[in-house]
Amino acid sequence: MIIVCPFCGPRDLSEFAYCGDADNLAARPDPAATDPAAWNAYVYDRTNPAGEHAEIWQHAGGCRKFLRVVRNTVTHEISGVTMLEPKA
Amino acid sequence: MGVDAPDRPEVRVVTSHRRPEGGTAIDRDHTVGFTVDGRQCFGLAGDTLASALLAGGVRVMGRSFKYHRPRGVMAIGVDEPNALFTVTTDGVREPNVRATEIEVFDGLTVESQNRWPSLENDVMAVNQLGGKALAAGFYYKTFMGPVFGPLKGTRFWMMCEHAIRRAAGLGRPGTAPDESRYERINAFCDVLVVGGGLAGLHKAVEEAKAGKRVIVCELEPRWGAGADAKKDSEIRQIVESLDSNPDVTLLARTTVWGWYDGNMLAATERVADHLKTAPKGAPRQRHWVIRAGHVALAAGALERPIVFPGNDRPGVMLADAARRYAETFGVLPGQHLTILTNNDSAYAAAVTLRHAGANIRAIIDVRPEIGAAAQRLADRAGGALKLGHAVVGTSGAKGLKTISVARYNHETQSFAGGSEQIETDCLLVSGGWSPVVHLASQAGAQPVWDKTLQAFLPPDPDRRWSVHGAAAGNLDFGHDLSPAPAPVFEIRHPGKAFVDLQHDVTADDVRLAHREGFRSVEHLKRYTTLGMATDQGKTSNIAGLAIMADSLGKPIPDVGTTRFRPPYTAASLGAIAAERFGDLFPHRLTPMHDWHGDHGARMYAAGHWERPESYNRPGETVEQAYVREAKTVRSGVGLVDVSTLGKIDIAGPDAPEFLNRVYTNGFAKLPVGKARYGLMLREDGFAMDDGTTWRLSENRFLMTTTTANAGKVMSHLELCLDVHWPDLRVHVTSVTDQWAGAAIAGPKSRDVLASCVTGTAVDNDALPFMGIVHGAIAGVPVMICRLSFSGELAYEVYCGAHHGTHVWEALMAAGAPFAIAPYGLEALGTLRIEKGHVTAAEIDGRTTARDLHLDWMLSSKKPFVGSAMMDRDGLTDKSRWTLVGVVSRSGEKLHGGSHVVAGDRDAPGPGLGHLTAMAFSPEMNAYVGLALVEDGENRIGQHLYATDPVRSGTHIPVEIVSHHMVDPKGERMHG
Amino acid sequence: MAEPFISTPVVTDAAESPLAGHYEKGEFGNLDRGVQVTLTERFPLAICDVCAWPGAETKTANAIKKVTGVALTKAGDAVDESAQAFQHAPGRWTVIAANPALPEALAKAAGDNATVVDLSHGRTVLRIDGGQSRRVLSKLFPIDFKSDYFPLEKGIATKHHEIFAQIQRVGDDAFDIIIFRSYARSFWHALRRASDEVGYVVD
Repeated sequence: MIIVCPFCGPRDLSEFAYCGDADNLAARPDPAATDPAAWNAYVYDRTNPAGEHAEIWQHAGGCRKFLRVVRNTVTHEISGVTMLEPKA
Repeated sequence: MGVDAPDRPEVRVVTSHRRPEGGTAIDRDHTVGFTVDGRQCFGLAGDTLASALLAGGVRVMGRSFKYHRPRGVMAIGVDEPNALFTVTTDGVREPNVRATEIEVFDGLTVESQNRWPSLENDVMAVNQLGGKALAAGFYYKTFMGPVFGPLKGTRFWMMCEHAIRRAAGLGRPGTAPDESRYERINAFCDVLVVGGGLAGLHKAVEEAKAGKRVIVCELEPRWGAGADAKKDSEIRQIVESLDSNPDVTLLARTTVWGWYDGNMLAATERVADHLKTAPKGAPRQRHWVIRAGHVALAAGALERPIVFPGNDRPGVMLADAARRYAETFGVLPGQHLTILTNNDSAYAAAVTLRHAGANIRAIIDVRPEIGAAAQRLADRAGGALKLGHAVVGTSGAKGLKTISVARYNHETQSFAGGSEQIETDCLLVSGGWSPVVHLASQAGAQPVWDKTLQAFLPPDPDRRWSVHGAAAGNLDFGHDLSPAPAPVFEIRHPGKAFVDLQHDVTADDVRLAHREGFRSVEHLKRYTTLGMATDQGKTSNIAGLAIMADSLGKPIPDVGTTRFRPPYTAASLGAIAAERFGDLFPHRLTPMHDWHGDHGARMYAAGHWERPESYNRPGETVEQAYVREAKTVRSGVGLVDVSTLGKIDIAGPDAPEFLNRVYTNGFAKLPVGKARYGLMLREDGFAMDDGTTWRLSENRFLMTTTTANAGKVMSHLELCLDVHWPDLRVHVTSVTDQWAGAAIAGPKSRDVLASCVTGTAVDNDALPFMGIVHGAIAGVPVMICRLSFSGELAYEVYCGAHHGTHVWEALMAAGAPFAIAPYGLEALGTLRIEKGHVTAAEIDGRTTARDLHLDWMLSSKKPFVGSAMMDRDGLTDKSRWTLVGVVSRSGEKLHGGSHVVAGDRDAPGPGLGHLTAMAFSPEMNAYVGLALVEDGENRIGQHLYATDPVRSGTHIPVEIVSHHMVDPKGERMHG
Repeated sequence: MAEPFISTPVVTDAAESPLAGHYEKGEFGNLDRGVQVTLTERFPLAICDVCAWPGAETKTANAIKKVTGVALTKAGDAVDESAQAFQHAPGRWTVIAANPALPEALAKAAGDNATVVDLSHGRTVLRIDGGQSRRVLSKLFPIDFKSDYFPLEKGIATKHHEIFAQIQRVGDDAFDIIIFRSYARSFWHALRRASDEVGYVVD
C-alpha cells in the first residue's frame, strides 16, 4: 500500500503507523469531564465501517506528521490524505 | 549427450533424442556436466535439466505425491507439475524445483524426489494397489480415529498417520543454514511489462518511445522464449534497442509473483541460480519491489492438458512443450509421436515436430470435423488423422508404449465400437489454452469466462493495468488456425484419470467430493487439495472446474473460479527476508559497546539494543558475576551503561503544561535544575511508562523513558501535540542517541565524582537528591543528575555520545581507588528487584498505577491522560493483581514467569498471579522475585508456591513480602 | 525570550566515531568494472534539528541562511561547501556544518522563531558518491532516486527497515545519509554489503 504524504509524496506503507479512527480521535472529551459514558465511547466505541473510513496515520518513518487518511476498508483505495495542521 | 546407466560409468555422448541440428538456446560446442542422484550426466550449455534429461532418453523424472506413480516431464516452463527435483548444489537443499526451470551448469547437483530407494524402482508404488485408499478427503476421514472396535481411543491411527505422511509428499527441505546471499531492491517505473514474449516486448517498445520509464520482467532466461523460432532475429533486434535505452530495465529470469495494493509488485530475480558461482558481490536471488504507474500484463497463455485414463504416464506431454523442446533445445521427446487434441494449435506443433525429424503416427482429434487450415497441416504432418476419436487408455510400465483409441462423440460423451491400440513413445496433448490471468486476479479483477476460447480472460482493464497478446486471449497460432477449442476437458472412461498431477487428484476424486456434498469450488479445492500443490494448479484448475460444473449440471462460469493469490510461483523465503537475517539483522550499540566487549561483558539483546548482561571474570558463572556486581554497588561503587534509555528533548513555552497533561503527577512547578520521577497512563487508565524528566531551563526539559518504550512514548507525545493539543507550543525531538549515559551507584559514588568532576561541586548541597549540575569530566562537558534506580546513592552522568567511552574510562580510572566495578543488566535487575522498582516487566499494559503502588503519583489537582478512565470499577477492584515481593523459602532458584499458586504440587489450585522478575539477592541471601498477585497486599506474610510446570518443573515454596525488600525508607539514596 | 541553549560541541581529542574499528579504507567488492561508488563517513560534524513555530517558517529559514551562509531553495534545501540544510518535515530542518559553534549560533539567530536541538553526537553522516550510487541506495530504501524526482539539494526522511534515515542529494551522484548513531555500525555494514556488487572504495 502506498500513502501519498502531503509533504513527502508517495511513500510505502512500511513508513506509516496507524493511530486510530480520525473522527473518534477528534472527539476526545474535555479532559476535566469525567462522564464515564463519554470517555467509554471515546476509548472503546468504533464504527468499523465496510467502506470509507477516516483514519489517522503517522508518517513515522518520514516527516513524523499525523495525516488524516480516508481509506476504503474494502478496496484499500485511499481517496484523500490531509495533514493535521498545528494552530499558529 | 545424456545420462550414463548405473552399470556403465562411461559417458554416452550421442543419443537419438538430440537432433543433429536446431536448438536456438543451446551451444553445441559447450558440454556441461552435472549429477542427478549422484550419477554423472551431461548436457549442453543452454539446456534446462528437463531438456538435458530428455535428450538423454530419461523419461521418469519424478514420482507422484500419493501413489508414487512414475511421472515424466509434461511441460516446458513454469507450469510443469511432475518433474520436480531437489537442488543440492553447495550442500543446501532447495526442494521442489521444476526441471524445466533449472538451467544446467558444470557442477549442478540435484536429487530426484519422493522416491525410495530410487526413481526407477520405487517400493512405495504399492500405494497404487491400494486403489481407493487415498481418495479425496482421505486424511480428513481417516484421522478422526476409530470410533468403534478394538482400536477405539488408541493412538494406533496416529502412528499410521506418521507412516503414511512419510510416504506421501514432495521434496524434503534441508536443515543446514543457507549461506547464500540474497538482497532486496526497490524500483519505480511508469510501466511494468510482465512477460518478455513478443507481445510484452512490443508493448515495451511502444512505451519506451513515448518516453516512459519501463521495466520488463521475463521469468525464462530468454526473451521471446515461447515464440516461433522464426521470430528469433526480430526478438533480438527489439531486445537490443530496449537494452540501449537508459530508461528501460530488462530483467530476465525474473518472475513477477505478487501484486499488492497501490500497484506494488513483488518479483524474484534468479541472479546466480544458473551459475556455478555467483559473480563477486552478487546475490543468489534478488527480491524486487516494483512500484509501477501501470502494469502491462503480457504473461501469455498456458496450454491445458486433457484428462483421460492413464494421462499421467511418462511420455504424455503438452503439444506445445514438445514443439519448444525441438525448436529451443533440438530435443525430440519421442520418435513415434501421437497427438490428442480438441483444437487446432496442436496441428502446427505436429508440423514443426515432423520437420524436426519425428514420425507423427496419428492425430486424434475429439472433434468430428476440422477446418481446412488444420486439415492442410495434418496432411503435412503425416500420420493417421482420427477425427471424432479419443484416447481412452495408455500402457507401458516405465513410460508410454501404446495408447488405446476409441470412436468418441464429445457432445454426448459416448464411445462407439472397440478400441484400437497405437504404438507410440510420446503422446502430445492439447486441451486448449488458458491466458495467464493470475496477476490481474491478484489485483482484484474477477476473470470472465470466454465461451469461444473456453477459458477465463482478464476482465476489462482499469487504469492500473492493461493486458496484451495471448494473456488477453489473442491466441494466434498462425496458418489461419482457429483459436477455439471444442469444450472437452475430460474423456470420461474407466481408469485413473488425473486432474491435478502434482497432488494426485483424479477426476473421480472430484466427483466423489461432489457426491459427499462439496458444492462450492472453494470447498472442493480444500477437500481434494486440487490446485493446492506447489504448481497451484496451473495445468489442472480449469479441468477440475469443468468436472465440478458437469457434476453440478451448471455451466463453468456459474461454478466460478477461485481468486488467485500471491505468489504466482513459489518464492524463496531467503529472498523475501533478504537483509533481515544473519549479519544484516540490525543492532543498536551504545557508545561504550566496544569497551564492554573488551572487559568480558556478555551481551544481551534487548530489542535491537545490545546491552552488557554481566562482566564475567574468568571462572565466574553469570550468577556469580551479577551477585558480585550487585554487592559491589551496595557496599562500594559500580558503573552501568544506561545509554539505551529513551531520551526526548521537550522544548517550548508550553512544555510545563504539556508535561502536566501527559504525566500523572505535577511538573509545572518543577524548578530548573531539578528532575522528577514521572508516570504516564494510557487513555484507558492503565500505566504506560515511567521515567525521570529533567528541567534543564525554563522552557526545556529532557524526558527519559524506559528502553523498551522509547518509540511508543515518542509517538504518544507527538500524537497528543498534533491531534489533541495543537494549540500547545511544544516541540519534541528524539535525543536518545545524542547522549551517552552512565549511572554511577553505591555509597562511594559521590567520592568518585568528587575526584573527577570539574567545574561544579557534587556535594549534597550542590547536588541534592534529584538535582542536576553541569560540569566536565576529563575535559568534556557532562550533565549529572542525582537519581537512583538501585536504591543506593547514585548519579546519572550524561555526555555527548561521541565522548561516551572517554568519559566512561575517566570514571573507571577515577573509581579505581574505590574498587569501582562495571555492572550489567543482571545486577541492575537484582538491585531494582530488591527495591521493588518497576520496569516494563511490570508495566505490561495490564497493570494500573495502584497495582504497582504508584497511586501516590496520581495527582488529584489536574486532569491528565488516563485520569478520567483510571477509576473505573474494574480498575479499582481490591482483588486485582498487585505488586508484591516473593522470597524462596527452600533456597531453590525461582523462575521468572512462574505462576503463584496456593497448593502443593499435587493440588496447586488456581493461579493467583505470576512472577515478573527474579534474582539472587545478596542483601537477603535468598532467591527473591517480584510478582503480580491477586489481592497482593492482603497476602503479605502468606506462604504460597511459585510453580513452573512446563519449563523447569519446579514448585517452590515462597513467602509473599512487601515489594520494598531492601531499605524500604530509601535512606541510602537520600544520604 | 531566548532559551539558554545547551549544546555539547564535539571535542576532537575525546570523540570517537561509532564506526571506530570498523572503517577500513581501501577498495572492496566486485572491481571488474573498477570502483563505481565511494563511501565516506563525515566525522565530526555539527548537526542540528531546527523546528520553526507555526508562522515563523520564513524567519527560521532566513536564520539558517544567515548562520550557514547557504541560500535555501523553495523547498527549503541547500548544499554548500561548508554547510547544508534540508527541510525534512514541514517547518523542520536538518542543518549540518563543520563549524562546531553551529548549534549555539543557530539558537541565537532563530530566537523565538524556532527551537534548535543539537544532534551532533546523535547522528552519523555517511556519503555515497559515484555512478552506481542510486542502485546501491535502491537496495536500502523504498525511495525513487531518479534525478527528476530527487533534485540536487533535496533532503528527505525515510527508513531502512527500523533504521530511521534522512537522505540529502549533495552532488550529481552523491548522497548524504544521516542515521541514528546507535545504528551506524549495522547500517554501515548493510551499506557496504549493498555496494559489494558494484565495487566500492572506502575513503
